[in-house]
Amino acid sequence: MSKAEKFAVLGQNVDRFEGHDKVTGSAAYVADVFLPGMLTGRILRSPLPHARIRNIDTSRAEKLRGVKAVVTAEDTIKQGWGVFFPDQYPLSVGKARYVGEEVAAVAAIDRDTAEEALELIEVDWEELPAVFDAEEAMQDGAPLVHEEKDSNIALTIDVERGDIDAAFRDSDLVIEDTFESVPQWHSAIETIGSVADYSANGKYTVYMNTQTLFMARMRLATALGVREADVRVIQTAVGGGFGGKSCDDNNAMVAAILARKARRPVKIINTREEEFLAGSRPRVNMKVWVRMGFKSDGRIRAKHMRVIADNGAYSGKAPAITGVAALRHDTCYKYSDVRSEAYLVYTNKIPTGAFRGFGNPSAEFSVEQMMDIAADELNMDPFEMARLNAAEPGYVSPHGNRVISCELKQCIDRTERMIGWKEKRADRKPNRGLGMGCTVHVSGKRHFGDYDGSSATIKMNEDGKAFILSGEGETGQGHWTAMCQIAAEELGVPFSDVAISEADTDLTTFCLGNYASRLTYVAGNAVKNAATNVKEILHETAAEMLEADPGDLVSRDGYIFVKGAEQRAISVADVVRGRQFRRGGAPVVASGSFDADSVSQDALRYGNESGAYNFGAQAAEVEVDPDTGRVTVIQYAVASDCGTVIYPIGAEGQVEGSIAQGLGYALIEGIRMEEGRPINPNFSDYRLASMRDMPDLVHEFADSYEPTGPFGAKGLGELGMDPVAAIISNAIYDAVGVRIKTLPITAEKVLRALQEKKKNGS
Amino acid sequence: MKREMVLNVNGEEHDVEITPDRLLLEALREDVGLTGTKEGCSIGVCGACSVIVDGRLVSACLTLAVTCEGKKIETIEGLARDGELHPLQRSFVQYGGFQCGICTPGQIMAAKALLDHNPTPSADQVKEWMSANLCRCTGYYKILESVMAVVEGKVDEERRDEAVRQARIQSLYQSDTYKSGASD
Ligand code: FES
Ligand code: FES
Repeated sequence: MSKAEKFAVLGQNVDRFEGHDKVTGSAAYVADVFLPGMLTGRILRSPLPHARIRNIDTSRAEKLRGVKAVVTAEDTIKQGWGVFFPDQYPLSVGKARYVGEEVAAVAAIDRDTAEEALELIEVDWEELPAVFDAEEAMQDGAPLVHEEKDSNIALTIDVERGDIDAAFRDSDLVIEDTFESVPQWHSAIETIGSVADYSANGKYTVYMNTQTLFMARMRLATALGVREADVRVIQTAVGGGFGGKSCDDNNAMVAAILARKARRPVKIINTREEEFLAGSRPRVNMKVWVRMGFKSDGRIRAKHMRVIADNGAYSGKAPAITGVAALRHDTCYKYSDVRSEAYLVYTNKIPTGAFRGFGNPSAEFSVEQMMDIAADELNMDPFEMARLNAAEPGYVSPHGNRVISCELKQCIDRTERMIGWKEKRADRKPNRGLGMGCTVHVSGKRHFGDYDGSSATIKMNEDGKAFILSGEGETGQGHWTAMCQIAAEELGVPFSDVAISEADTDLTTFCLGNYASRLTYVAGNAVKNAATNVKEILHETAAEMLEADPGDLVSRDGYIFVKGAEQRAISVADVVRGRQFRRGGAPVVASGSFDADSVSQDALRYGNESGAYNFGAQAAEVEVDPDTGRVTVIQYAVASDCGTVIYPIGAEGQVEGSIAQGLGYALIEGIRMEEGRPINPNFSDYRLASMRDMPDLVHEFADSYEPTGPFGAKGLGELGMDPVAAIISNAIYDAVGVRIKTLPITAEKVLRALQEKKKNGS
Repeated sequence: MKREMVLNVNGEEHDVEITPDRLLLEALREDVGLTGTKEGCSIGVCGACSVIVDGRLVSACLTLAVTCEGKKIETIEGLARDGELHPLQRSFVQYGGFQCGICTPGQIMAAKALLDHNPTPSADQVKEWMSANLCRCTGYYKILESVMAVVEGKVDEERRDEAVRQARIQSLYQSDTYKSGASD
């Protein structure tokens, strides 16, 4: 069902709301914020993975000319913070638990002085035994990362739905295997940074490149020991988030602590090295064992999965991510009997955290390969098998996820056609192979309090232009533009008659921010509701002015008409002025809220986690060089079900960007660690794909309409990323018969597997 | 240690007082006050700091400012003339050649350096040339499309929505819709 043709503004490729600022260099990112008297802050980081701090002597640093403040934990309230477990401090209290942890900090008149001062700080360390591998950390007698806890296991999940033993007994084919993912760094081209100011009346103002504005404020308030209203967070332009700027790091806390002590604004911008050491929290790496049972016709009968997730030193969002890895994928196919175990384990490494996909890529790297292995064993076409098992509208997952709109089968069909599956399979070329996979994601997730909502306020200017106040700031995905389109559509005004505010905790109502692919669906619904309320006010006044019944009015293209008598019309501008400039006049302003019809999962992790689910199918064609193991992706096909497409360029951009990140995850990204220390934390060793590395990409959106979404829309941002690594691995297997089960799939690994295969003569 | 010198940026002379180890990136952003040039990697591999010096594309994070004395430096701020976007800038807006925008000044300067020397590169030549500019958001597809649209002359004139809207508002205020609405 396509409703796009009925829309005036939706589905149009308008010019991106903040586009001109970004192409002219005038968009102000956090590094571009300069305040009078501003100092440069630099952070002293732990050189050791696990060590007690016997003493810190800052006296020499303090005496250096140009140094305005030196801080340690003694300058803080030593209050732990963290979204699930308050296990992290702005500056190390007593000991440091990973290489890069913030131990002390300096604010000085310039960077050279600040860096010189760092060298003058003397820390008396007592090195402690450390643990770097999650499985080792689970063993009895392993060094404890947090000695007040009795083990390194931060979280255990074990849920069974149905009767898993009986279901395996009832299966015609049972297979099991283990897959391992790696930490992936967000590698946003802009590192994390902040500028903090502290005023004489005790208020902090923090400019930061966060993607979760109010959560940033909440955590600052906790760590600083002040009320939320005493902290104002202003979101600057953000140079890429992908989960990495969702505030699980300490950059802004340290800047605020320095600013209070120095009584001057302090700017801290992470260097690229710091970003790898202790900035954006890399993807939680997981070892996933999975056992699946199938009927001979290809239907999934049972699944048992055991996830060991590496938390690093502090928890952040890793508990929620581990839960997603354990349970989310069961919404993609029709499952009845499943068991999911998961263990989140502390190690002495950088804390891991939210990255596009949020646990799902690790789960799909295993399950989507298992589907391929099963299809092979059962001699079935993987597309047939996916179609047979695909979720449908009305499906309720074993964990309670309720699917309303679902065009997964349509996506499977489209992908099969786009990649030319049948033709290419009929005419196989040496060393070329095809692979496919499916994916599911949410449109918002209820996991921070019993709330997954958003709100917005729209005020009308006297010239008829609407202004949206929203705390759901832009980080690049283009939802500002989509939100303006939604407001324009609902208000019946041209796109150019809508603008949106920057996100600022003092000026906008509470918003959760950018995560869980929630903005178009959740924030879009809030904006739409605000626009409905504003339209009601406009129609009330217009009815008086036109001497008509409000129920007879329609809004279109900036005018309000009497239905059936369209010569009786008045411009929105005139209505706003008419309401304002009269005795007892009032502005045209209204708010709107939306809270998704989801529920908080219960203690057994049962419950519909999101208001809507997005689905997709993808396929790849690869070529493997048998002499070097080098994998070239020839073509990649993607079909996505995101409901109505509001802003096509933005939506396409989400697909393209997530495939690029997925291919990086599959093939090249990773960092060598020694004793918890990243070797060469920079962009020449941590390689990102460049333009010439990108394969031919074809993609389509499913005809789809989500009844609970704004004009039928749902989420999209993460969906594309999730299954890519599995699909590449499936295609490699199809090409040369070797299956790679650890990421990244380097040429070296493929070559080794090929040599192994030759040796075994198989 | 600091010395006075003149930097010619986008055709304007700027007096700056800098040390010999001052990077061009720092000089542009902090001394001249043009923050459109961005820093991504600081080691010359991401291209976020790309600027054109005497016609050559350079990484401002690897270039000492003193070596640019007497040379013509072009940055992103110099591209739009009298509020009129450069065709590359228009194209990036029209074809969605950016998301977060942090790599965009560098991408546009790199593309400009290429097109200044070769106005009709093939898509493969663009890919090769632009591969020194990393982008984490777009997957590069729309960046390539934006550059090729300029090469192939497929960029629309700047949208005049704003002007049209202003004219419409003016006419509304002068119209008697409001009066008739109020007095009827
Ligand atoms: S900042 Fe200069 S190339 Fe990356
Ligand atoms: S647009 Fe974000 S890095 Fe290129």
